[in-house]
Amino acid sequence: MKITKIAAAMSGVAAVGLALASSPAVAAASAEALLRAKCLACHTETDAGFSRIADQRKSPEGWLMSIARMQIVHGLKITDEERRAVVKHLADTQGLAPSETEGARYALERRLNTMEAFESEQFTQMCARCHSGARVLLQRRPASEWEHLVHFHLGQYPTAEFQAFGRDRDWLGIALKEVVPDLAGKLPLESEAWKAWQARAPQAVDGEWSLSGHMTGRGGFSGVMKVSAGKGQDLHALSFEGRWDDGKPMAGKGQALIYTGYEWRADLVVDGTPMRQVFALEDGVLRGRMFLRDHDEVGADVVASLQRDGNARVLAVHPAYLKAGEEGELRIVGSKLDGEVGLPPGVSLLETVKRSAGEVVLRVRAEAAARGVHPVTVGKAGGASLAVYERIGKIEVLPAYAVARIGGNGTPTAKVEARFDAEAWDAGPDGQPGTSDDFRIGVVPARWSVEPFDEVAVRDEDVKFAGLMDEATGVFVPGGAGPNPMRRMSANNVGNLKVVAEVEQGGTPVRGEGQLIVAPQRWNNPPIP
Amino acid sequence: MKHLKAINNKAKLLEQAVGEDRVEEVVAMSAIAGCTATVDPGWEVDAFGGVASLCQPMESDLYGCADPCWWPAQVPDTMITYPDWNKDAANTREDWRNLGSVFPGDKL
Repeated sequence: MKITKIAAAMSGVAAVGLALASSPAVAAASAEALLRAKCLACHTETDAGFSRIADQRKSPEGWLMSIARMQIVHGLKITDEERRAVVKHLADTQGLAPSETEGARYALERRLNTMEAFESEQFTQMCARCHSGARVLLQRRPASEWEHLVHFHLGQYPTAEFQAFGRDRDWLGIALKEVVPDLAGKLPLESEAWKAWQARAPQAVDGEWSLSGHMTGRGGFSGVMKVSAGKGQDLHALSFEGRWDDGKPMAGKGQALIYTGYEWRADLVVDGTPMRQVFALEDGVLRGRMFLRDHDEVGADVVASLQRDGNARVLAVHPAYLKAGEEGELRIVGSKLDGEVGLPPGVSLLETVKRSAGEVVLRVRAEAAARGVHPVTVGKAGGASLAVYERIGKIEVLPAYAVARIGGNGTPTAKVEARFDAEAWDAGPDGQPGTSDDFRIGVVPARWSVEPFDEVAVRDEDVKFAGLMDEATGVFVPGGAGPNPMRRMSANNVGNLKVVAEVEQGGTPVRGEGQLIVAPQRWNNPPIP
Repeated sequence: MKHLKAINNKAKLLEQAVGEDRVEEVVAMSAIAGCTATVDPGWEVDAFGGVASLCQPMESDLYGCADPCWWPAQVPDTMITYPDWNKDAANTREDWRNLGSVFPGDKL
């Protein structure tokens, strides 16, 4: 391997991204010709296709990472447009069925505060120690290919064996004799799910989508996303118009590309900010996460449904809770919302403010007898609920454990914020929080602060150095990068903090706690962590 | 441990963990997606789940640890994959601002 070649290839990878195919000129038909032209220099043609390549299935991001590695390490020369065409082709023909991504979508959706926990201690030790376990779970290979992957790790990271305690155990033996058969059994190249998915009819996406979301640190929103055919295979133009729950308008435009028949990836600009949608399309519903393209820790859970016959759904009620004895405005968001509105017993309709197939806005009053969580329906449409609460008995900080990262301060790596929601719970009829009759109220405004997590954090003054918590929004902005001469040993502005959310209830604060690690920056930041 | 005496804070913490029978618990902890937490020291957290026993500041001994791929998910390895990653930061004490990301366009 020539080092000079690697260095030269690196410069061309600065803008690698899972961007959308912009030109129909490089269509799927020519992707095979591209594979032949670009890959045959190293890969050989076999009965199944090209060596190594034919024996793998993975997500669009997984294929992007593989091709980017060919550029970085093996000197592959490929333009961004060509790479997009190849990623699209491989994801379409050697992708994953929707069911094969279940339980690992958090990695594609960039939910990097997900705590991974796997049943297999061996899998955790052998794979998820250095990178996310999801990176593995989003791939399918036969045993021979998993074996190649073990050898690749040793070739690419020659100290991996030593770092993984290879001095104390037969690491390579475990990897080849135990992990490979295990992965080949659980994550095989051929599966019934993939066969069935390939035989499916294409899903319709063009039309009007009703959309509901919640962005941590900002609040709920809803609106209409219009999708129409774009200029290229599986490309769609989209425009979004909606409102935040606090009434502020929200609008965006962009385009989406659908990989593998269901992996919706859209780039759009919302109110001047580039955002990205990573959704899965299933039966008239899009579900996933929409986040800032350049700050993926800032994102929203989103669900949308297509306005079409037979797709009557209630996606959400904004807000999803009411206090017993009080009046409020409810925005029921969904598709094909025709017919009578079914409100919970004890919730009375005062006024219908607005009504369309995608949104029903009502003024209602909740009586004490309505306490609890109840379904809300409109005609045949259901799927969401309304909580009527008496008193907030418990606050959960979400996420309960988060990582922020120092950055900025003259470095090219941006700070990674941490954002929190205060999830309120009613203690139920017994009045005791933590018992089985508790019910979730929803995300409520809280007063936010941070405290030292433990005595060590007190000693090292983590609260003073690690960053600032916004009292009103629960958004934590970490400190600057670099050694800090003001700290013991010139430590970075890292910290171990307790995140505190307080909500007043009848003059008494109800308090919830989480943990926040303020960590050094991460420089190796591929699409799948 | 009866023939060894802890002489620095980290060793004392380790002794304490052994005393409290917490060593297994440390090794088996689950990690946040893509974080190196189960390596001692990890990049985000130390073996005790805090940050006080991390290599700090990380710039002070970055290459000594990162070059042999101690934190391959966080820090580009300069041994094979990204030999030029630190070409403008030979002295991390002075040049730490020149270290940057290697997959910057991933969010496009």
